[in-house]
Amino acid sequence: MTRIIVVTSGKGGVGKTTTSASFASGLAMRGFKTAVIDFDVGLRNLDLIMGCERRVVYDLVNVISGEATLNQALIKDKHCENLFVLPASQTRDKDALTEEGVEKVLKDLEHMGFEYVICDSPAGIERGAVMALTFADEAIIVTNPEVSSVRDSDRILGILQAKSKRAQAGGEPVKEHLLVTRYSPKRVEDGEMLSYKDVQEILRVPIIGVIPESESVLHASNQGTPAIHIEQSEVAEAYKDVIARFLGEDAPLRFVSYEKPGLFKRLFGG
Amino acid sequence: MTHDIAKDSDIALIEFKGTTLPVLAITLRSLDPKELTSAGSTLFGEGAFFDDDLAVLDLSQVITWPEQVEWSLIIQLLTSHGLKVLGITRANSTLTASAAASGLPSLALSAGRSAKPAPAPKKAIATDPALDKIPASLRKAPAPDVAPVSPDTPEKAEPDETLLDNPGTLVIDRPLRSGQQVYARGGDLVILAAVNPGAEVIADGNIHVYAPLRGRALAGARGNAQARILTTVFAAELVSIAGIYRTFEEGVPAKLANQPVQVRLAQEPVVSPSTGQKSRLEINILRVD
Repeated sequence: MTRIIVVTSGKGGVGKTTTSASFASGLAMRGFKTAVIDFDVGLRNLDLIMGCERRVVYDLVNVISGEATLNQALIKDKHCENLFVLPASQTRDKDALTEEGVEKVLKDLEHMGFEYVICDSPAGIERGAVMALTFADEAIIVTNPEVSSVRDSDRILGILQAKSKRAQAGGEPVKEHLLVTRYSPKRVEDGEMLSYKDVQEILRVPIIGVIPESESVLHASNQGTPAIHIEQSEVAEAYKDVIARFLGEDAPLRFVSYEKPGLFKRLFGG
Repeated sequence: MTHDIAKDSDIALIEFKGTTLPVLAITLRSLDPKELTSAGSTLFGEGAFFDDDLAVLDLSQVITWPEQVEWSLIIQLLTSHGLKVLGITRANSTLTASAAASGLPSLALSAGRSAKPAPAPKKAIATDPALDKIPASLRKAPAPDVAPVSPDTPEKAEPDETLLDNPGTLVIDRPLRSGQQVYARGGDLVILAAVNPGAEVIADGNIHVYAPLRGRALAGARGNAQARILTTVFAAELVSIAGIYRTFEEGVPAKLANQPVQVRLAQEPVVSPSTGQKSRLEINILRVD
């Protein structure tokens, strides 16, 4: 049984694609056969983050319109054995995504034995974003600790509750997870940023992780390596914790409190 | 000179969209043109009282009718008062057939709105500006178990006709999120989870929020000046009672912020001590003794 997980946020630039890449990689590293689909038709960049942009021949829209088979379009990831990327089209517009077409692609992935399918949603609340969440079993709501991001996440949660197939069928609802990204404990301490508790207080969705703000994410993106692969970085550790919690393991939140440098460290520059 | 748009571009010449029109439901209790003429002139005088308003004839309360109903005379009469009759609704099979023969279709009214066995015609859909923003799907009598509905979703639950004359209280027990809107038509609204910024809760009666109220709350949406808004944690963007509203551009005043609060209309305008602004809205901290 394939689990379909949408990574969404409403707002742009909060870390959806970074999260999709790392989350999919993390599941694949645990041995699950995983596919990650870029729904951002027209503005694709999952392939860049995954470092497979030069290997894109066919894309999601080609598959939906029958111009290519799923096997032709799926790109095997260079880091993980079990991970495949289905890129978005750069040239077509979002109207090319039809509900029937997306449903067929997801069904075909199930027949191919994929255990997890990660849908990387575009920003906004229009067709691409709705298509990405329509068939979701679970949703990761990526939120930055600032009010506009929280507001947009709230909006997308409402849409998830209205437009997803699960909501419309009236059965078990989509399981929601809150992921706070670009978190800076120091700025929270200084009162410049919402704390993850504030975010959760407003959104009221169980928290699956807090990813610290880090320059290593930018470096990783530029190199085409998902952040979860950066050895010994806090970001990679935090994403691994997210995978652990997603799989039901117990992992306390890390990297959320700010420790002031001690007097010694301040005097001698540590 | 005709201009062929289709050749110029890809503009679709025909496009379909669902829509909701304000239509008057007119309950007739007699189908005798003479009786109706005299009743009509008593109500509306002579000449066009209405302004080409659309109307359907609700025939659920017709007591007696002649063998041959003179539909054309009835239509003529209503037209003279400025009504455009679209068809009939809620009629028995005899009347439906007779009306159909005269070219009056039988229409299914979305939420069945006959006048209570008493006064003059009612508007089928309120045209209160506060209600204009309410999606058509919500303009139905809310049954107590109707889930909150965002403007994006068509409501599936069929309204229970028996609730129309005795509207229940609408109870919502999950968070209302930015962009979601709930309207308790004709009754009170009780919310047991947070109303987030950007969400809107509306009731014809009172609104109770037993959680943070961070969005917009409009009580007495159809003019009930006795309506109140009660919340355990006040942090609203806007509150309104019977159309008199207040926004909080500078945030909720510190002494009210996150407090249990009651909002109601005052008899006299209240002058805010801090800003000097006059308002008829009275916002007080609820004290439980």
